[in-house]
Amino acid sequence: MAPSRGLRPLLRTRIPALKPHARRYSEFVAAATDPSQKARVFVSQSQDPYLNLSIEHYLLQRTPGDSTILFLYTNSPCVVIGRNQNPWIEVNLGVLRNEELGVKLVRRRSGGGTVFHDEGNMNYSVICPPSEFNRDKHAEMVVRALKSLGTEKARVNERHDIVVDKEDKEGALKPFKVSGSAYKLTRLRSLHHGTCLLSSPNLESISKYLRAPAKPLIKARGVDSVSSPIANVGIDNFKFQEAVAFEFRSLYGTLSEASVWNRSIFFVDEKAKEVPEIAYGLEELMSEDWIYCQTPQFKFSTKNITETDSVQSIPSSWPPALRGIEFTAKHGKFTEVSVDYNDRTASSEQIELPLLNKLELHKITDWEQLLPPFLFTDSDRNVAVSPGRTMNQLFGMGNYEPSAYVRE
Amino acid sequence: MRLHLYSRFLLRQGSVYSGLNFPRQFPSARTFHATARAQVIKPFLLADIGEGIRECEIIQWFVEPGARVEEWDKLCEVQSDKASVEITSKFDGVIKKLYYEAGEMAKVGKALVDIDIQGEIKEEDLAALTEPGTGGISQIQAQDQAKKPLEAQFTESIQPPEASSAPEKVSPPKGKHATLATPAVRHLTKQLDVRIEDVNGTGRDGRVLKDDVYQFAKQRDTAPAQLQSSPSAPRGPQTETPTKLSNTQYQMFKTMTNSLVIPHFLYADEIDFSNLSELRARLNKGLAKSPINEIRKISFLPFVIKAMSMAIQRYPILNARVDTDPESGKPILIMRSQHNIGIAIDTPSGLMVPVIKDVSNLDIASIAAELNRLQALATTGKLSSKDLSGGTITVSNIGNIGGTYVSPVIVEKEVAILGMGKMRTIPAFDENGAVVKKQICNFSWSADHRVIDGATMARAAEVVRSFVEDPDSMVMHLR
Repeated sequence: MAPSRGLRPLLRTRIPALKPHARRYSEFVAAATDPSQKARVFVSQSQDPYLNLSIEHYLLQRTPGDSTILFLYTNSPCVVIGRNQNPWIEVNLGVLRNEELGVKLVRRRSGGGTVFHDEGNMNYSVICPPSEFNRDKHAEMVVRALKSLGTEKARVNERHDIVVDKEDKEGALKPFKVSGSAYKLTRLRSLHHGTCLLSSPNLESISKYLRAPAKPLIKARGVDSVSSPIANVGIDNFKFQEAVAFEFRSLYGTLSEASVWNRSIFFVDEKAKEVPEIAYGLEELMSEDWIYCQTPQFKFSTKNITETDSVQSIPSSWPPALRGIEFTAKHGKFTEVSVDYNDRTASSEQIELPLLNKLELHKITDWEQLLPPFLFTDSDRNVAVSPGRTMNQLFGMGNYEPSAYVRE
Repeated sequence: MRLHLYSRFLLRQGSVYSGLNFPRQFPSARTFHATARAQVIKPFLLADIGEGIRECEIIQWFVEPGARVEEWDKLCEVQSDKASVEITSKFDGVIKKLYYEAGEMAKVGKALVDIDIQGEIKEEDLAALTEPGTGGISQIQAQDQAKKPLEAQFTESIQPPEASSAPEKVSPPKGKHATLATPAVRHLTKQLDVRIEDVNGTGRDGRVLKDDVYQFAKQRDTAPAQLQSSPSAPRGPQTETPTKLSNTQYQMFKTMTNSLVIPHFLYADEIDFSNLSELRARLNKGLAKSPINEIRKISFLPFVIKAMSMAIQRYPILNARVDTDPESGKPILIMRSQHNIGIAIDTPSGLMVPVIKDVSNLDIASIAAELNRLQALATTGKLSSKDLSGGTITVSNIGNIGGTYVSPVIVEKEVAILGMGKMRTIPAFDENGAVVKKQICNFSWSADHRVIDGATMARAAEVVRSFVEDPDSMVMHLR
């Protein structure tokens, strides 16, 4: 560099441009809150179910009141229970925790029943003004997308689910559920979201996750899941995404000329975690307090199970000495606990029951410590009995083989 | 079953009011709103959430009995099969009772909570309070009830919070009333975009106070914790506190803005109250022994009011009103026969101007009685719109509080106003040149210079003066 040229070339150093794919979360916030956008499509690039639900909640709260938003996302394997459901009734927690698949437990903010999500399963979410809300409108939209991809027998049934009529073994047409829906209605916005089984590899094992061993022993209010036979649609994720987005645009694209209709899809990635509201919602969804303690009041009781019932409900190998454990749980915490070994026990171990009061049910990691095993005298035979182990299996605690938790 | 009790209550109320034959009042400039005001605690019904759902489960409550809510605050979340719905309040008020516990099934169309409504109820919202059968009756009751001004929203006296410590990630356990806050605080949280659950309340039982919200907002916005930003520190930077105008303040704002069009001129005078004081002392002695209309003591104001009425008799233009002729579009004077003298009263909720009607046909005792009645109503905030409307001229006795000369603002639809200063004792000379004590008071008149000239005002003021300074001369005009 010759001095005569001066120092200007040196000073003209380039500031490196921001890499285009490292999207700052501020762009997402801007896209979500832009009042001129009347209809927009967002797709998540994350597979974290908690994050996806938090993004969805953020979109529900922050998008303009007159806009309609479509949000598509896929989750890594997880079981998602409804806002008001009881995980000990709906989910086999023992299998969940001990299976290799590493399935997460999620409680969503909308109502409805329990579903199993994995990568072969795509979720769609439509947020619209309450005046335009209708349970079937967007389900019909997804049906149109499915039809355009070759699934002709797709339709919306009376429960607002999407079913596909397939021939079963006898050749009769039976509806198989491919998509369930749930809703959340706030003052300003209405949310309808649903999941669609495209090509889940876990179809056969879903049922073992969703059959809880403690179910017959728990009496609760709250919404029960309605189980139906399920099937895969057999469509590629990407094609489904494009088809739904296309149908969405067709439905909302012809808005008033004044509105700017952005045809491009906005991809949301992990950086969305940095948006304060999303971070806050994420923390809440991941907290055990939300997952377990939002359970409405319920009562667990092993009493009054007659011998005939026990064939279906409790395996007959469970000793009658077990019968006598009762507790009520409110907000996931014990409020009344009673254990009564109906005077057939040999030992008279007293359990410190007051200790249990106010403890959280999900925090009891080993029932065997609370209910130590004892010898049970039954017609001259001494049998080692462990009610604690049984409780562990009912509530999915302790570390046994997953099959130990499965109800026969 | 509870609803039946309420409907019977409403029925009874309705029949009482229809029997009394209250004249329907048309809203005038002095009424604050044209909507009705209910005074009982009303059950708030669970609105139809659509889709033919008749009952749904309460998932969680966001309020409890005693909680203050504003319109649009979340009351509870309910769930019906697949939909979870947030129920928000339609009214401002205080929750008195929850009809269901969390986990119970709430029926659509039946009562959800009892709310003590402290705002206005619009006609269309009446439906949310009553079942279809009793709807008509409660409407009658609501309309026949005296229309009255809104209760002002007041801020509770706030104890000064302790100096704030650095924000911790782990929030301390919330008090019982962690999300309870006065409407002013809630408004602030909305303005500063703060979630009330995040703020640690330092008030009683964990209530969130205004300063708590400010602290939180400041700490949230500036990354490092600032320990020196203690709200109770005497020295600090200028803090601006946006405060919404109370309803009374807002009305004052509106009416005074309208009064701006009137070109005021001020005419002030010093009135010798010595004779009137003496007369008053004599009269009060007599009243103490045998009260008239339950009045044991009389103040100066009824005399002044009567004197004003007499001045208006002579100069009726002071009682008139400026308006535009509908045909020619030119300004005209509307002369009014009745002398309705408005009295400006300072009440706990602000400035109110009730009116004593037809003063020319009232004697001083009746004026005094009416004055007492209006004052009593004003202090308890129960002035009706009838009391507040129809004024033709106004008197403002600010001298009760203080001040010598005032420049009062003429009320809309009037042309003159009198402001009275404080009564004080001064030394003066009598006719012999000796120094005597005189009780004087300053009268400051403002008049609309578009229609009243200085000479008229001066003459009218002189009439008032002569009557007040020499009350015995009023005897000549006794009817």
